Amino acid sequence: MDRRRRMHPATQEALNRREFLRRAAMAGIALPTAAAILAACSDPKEASGNAGSTTIPLARRDKPVTLPLYDDNPAIADGMEIEKGATLEIFNWSDYFYKKVLEDFEKEYDVTYNWTTFNNMSEAKQKMQAGQVADVFFPTVDVLGQMVGAKLLQPLNHSYIPNMEANVWPAYWDGDTPFYDQGWRYTAPYVIYTTGVGYRRDVISDEEAADQGYDLLWNADYAGKVGLYDDYRETLSMAMLRDGITDINTGDQATIDAALDSLKELIPLDVRTSINGTYVGLSEGKYDVHHAWSGDMIGAQYYLPSGTSTDVLGYWYPADHAGVVGNDTIVVPSSSEHPVLAHTFINFLLDKKHGYENFTWNGYQPPFTSINPESLISGGDVPKSLPLAVVTEEDFKAGYSILELAPDDDDKWQDAWDEFNTSTG
Amino acid sequence: MSSSATEHLSRRQKRRAFKQLEADRGAWYPRWFWPSFAAPAVLWQSIFFILPFYVIIAVAFGTYDALRSPVPIFQPWFWDFAQFQEVLSDIFGSDAKYQAVYLRTFAFIIIATMLCLVIGYTVAYFVARHGGRRKTLFLVLLIAPFWINYLMRMFAWQSLLADDGFVNDVFAFVPGLTPVAWLSGKPYTVILGLVYGYVPYLVLPVYGQLDRIGSSLLEAGRDLGASPWQTFRRVTLPLSKPALLAGVIIIMLPMMGDYYTNQLLSGSPKTTMVGNIIDRSVFEPGRGALGASVVLTLIVILLVPMIYYMRTTARQAVDR
Repeated sequence: MDRRRRMHPATQEALNRREFLRRAAMAGIALPTAAAILAACSDPKEASGNAGSTTIPLARRDKPVTLPLYDDNPAIADGMEIEKGATLEIFNWSDYFYKKVLEDFEKEYDVTYNWTTFNNMSEAKQKMQAGQVADVFFPTVDVLGQMVGAKLLQPLNHSYIPNMEANVWPAYWDGDTPFYDQGWRYTAPYVIYTTGVGYRRDVISDEEAADQGYDLLWNADYAGKVGLYDDYRETLSMAMLRDGITDINTGDQATIDAALDSLKELIPLDVRTSINGTYVGLSEGKYDVHHAWSGDMIGAQYYLPSGTSTDVLGYWYPADHAGVVGNDTIVVPSSSEHPVLAHTFINFLLDKKHGYENFTWNGYQPPFTSINPESLISGGDVPKSLPLAVVTEEDFKAGYSILELAPDDDDKWQDAWDEFNTSTG
Repeated sequence: MSSSATEHLSRRQKRRAFKQLEADRGAWYPRWFWPSFAAPAVLWQSIFFILPFYVIIAVAFGTYDALRSPVPIFQPWFWDFAQFQEVLSDIFGSDAKYQAVYLRTFAFIIIATMLCLVIGYTVAYFVARHGGRRKTLFLVLLIAPFWINYLMRMFAWQSLLADDGFVNDVFAFVPGLTPVAWLSGKPYTVILGLVYGYVPYLVLPVYGQLDRIGSSLLEAGRDLGASPWQTFRRVTLPLSKPALLAGVIIIMLPMMGDYYTNQLLSGSPKTTMVGNIIDRSVFEPGRGALGASVVLTLIVILLVPMIYYMRTTARQAVDR
């Protein structure tokens, strides 16, 4: 029997409403369940973005890339007020900032900062994806395409960053530069560096270093005191350059294997890998020779035991400037809660005084037109024994940059690095 | 209530009769009462073991997103076993690049565990038998290293073992010894670090067990004509076996996943351990499934000593 037919017309409507609410509630419960079931039935591999591919082409010097803009991820509008009293969330490598610079920013803009660190770019990307809130972030060039494609970064509004054109090398903002982000839509440069060979001058002479170059690391005289960075791209690239291969973003298996074989020759020499071996280990005499970033070498002077002269530090980089060269960038993540403050901070770091101060602490040089390589040495910021650690525009014209690889090619590099690290020589 | 008396009763009537019987005895508890005491442990295990373990499985058989970060797949019907199979072939295949690492890790751990047993047992025996009124002091001294962060202790070893460090100073002073390049990728340095780092974890359970062995048992052994060595071998050692097993398990499990000892005291490919493969794969793009697969192989391997431990302790409980 239909119950509704037996009901009084006055109550029928009320019960209909109740029935409606009950059914709506049931539907509310059922729909997400249905969605969950449908989600469970659909292949997560398809939803995850084709396992590592993005539609943005890989940036190369001869194939520059204009990173796409998205309607649902716009830059901030012009002329907005700075978020007063806010806390600037900084997401950066550790030991990569002079705290005084940050404190000066606090004072100047009446804000505070919170500095969260990461150990490598993979970790940083994962945290950003997982919802890490940051106002400024410092990625390497080789992850930009992926991060822009995933809409993790927001475009910059250039009107807030006048110091870019005022102080920075034109190669980072003029016309269709830089090649990895034409028109600097998403990035400003943070610091620049070269990768060469660091050595102890009380053990190895400058002449020997100049004569041997990369081979210094393979010299059996320094067995047990040889160090490499724990970084698959840098290390295999260095082995390629040693063998005369200049395409350090190759996917060619034979070239990668040859670089691996070169590296394996170092294992009988008791080579060790670490990320701080240059500025800590070389300074303390644990190594005689170490694969080195120019900025680490300049920063190494602050890690020398007291009473040790900076003259013990030496750095070799190819005389023709044809080595590994690169820069880190500053970006504003799309998760930024204080984007105006973030833009202001970028402009602050690109200020001649503040950028230079930061360099005097961490050893990594900003690409400022005002910085004269000779004055860095004569002024005492760079030890006299490290003239080649000063980065010039010439290095970028002749050098090679480590750039993003296609996922399959990246796997080849990582497999090779894995094999090196598990090999007994 | 005899079983014959209740044969004709229905299940509900039986339950009611059982409740009445329990009530007559003075207490009746619902069926869920006693098992509910296990709820905190079950909850703990679910949150901190089963769920994370399932996530590891989901990552091992999962995929990657556009940023090459691992994407766990929780539906078993979509699992992809390719990465896991690759890891297995890297361990057992003809061109097995990880095989040497696994064998090396086992060798390091077995040697380190043996050394821990000798050192740990000796120390625990001394404190339990000869500590006297200073037992507490000795125990505090044993626990003292835990007050300092493990990494800091390894950094201290870096200084001690440096070319111009204290250890080499001693070596240079003692006739017949020559300084050693301890930190240039030497397996014995890694083993030393493992022994130093984990030996206190073995000492404590062994001490606890030895301290509980009554002196009357030892005296009985002597009264029956056993020498001190025989008393130790036939009374003390068998009675301390459960604690030794527990101690060995406690130190072996974390040693298998240890990566920082090798990283800080060596850093050489010649001393890479399984933990280092996991550590590296976690931090490199597109390697999450590899790391999770290695973790799974490790868990399967570690099940062997765990099952042995559980069977042995269960048998001993029955014997008692």
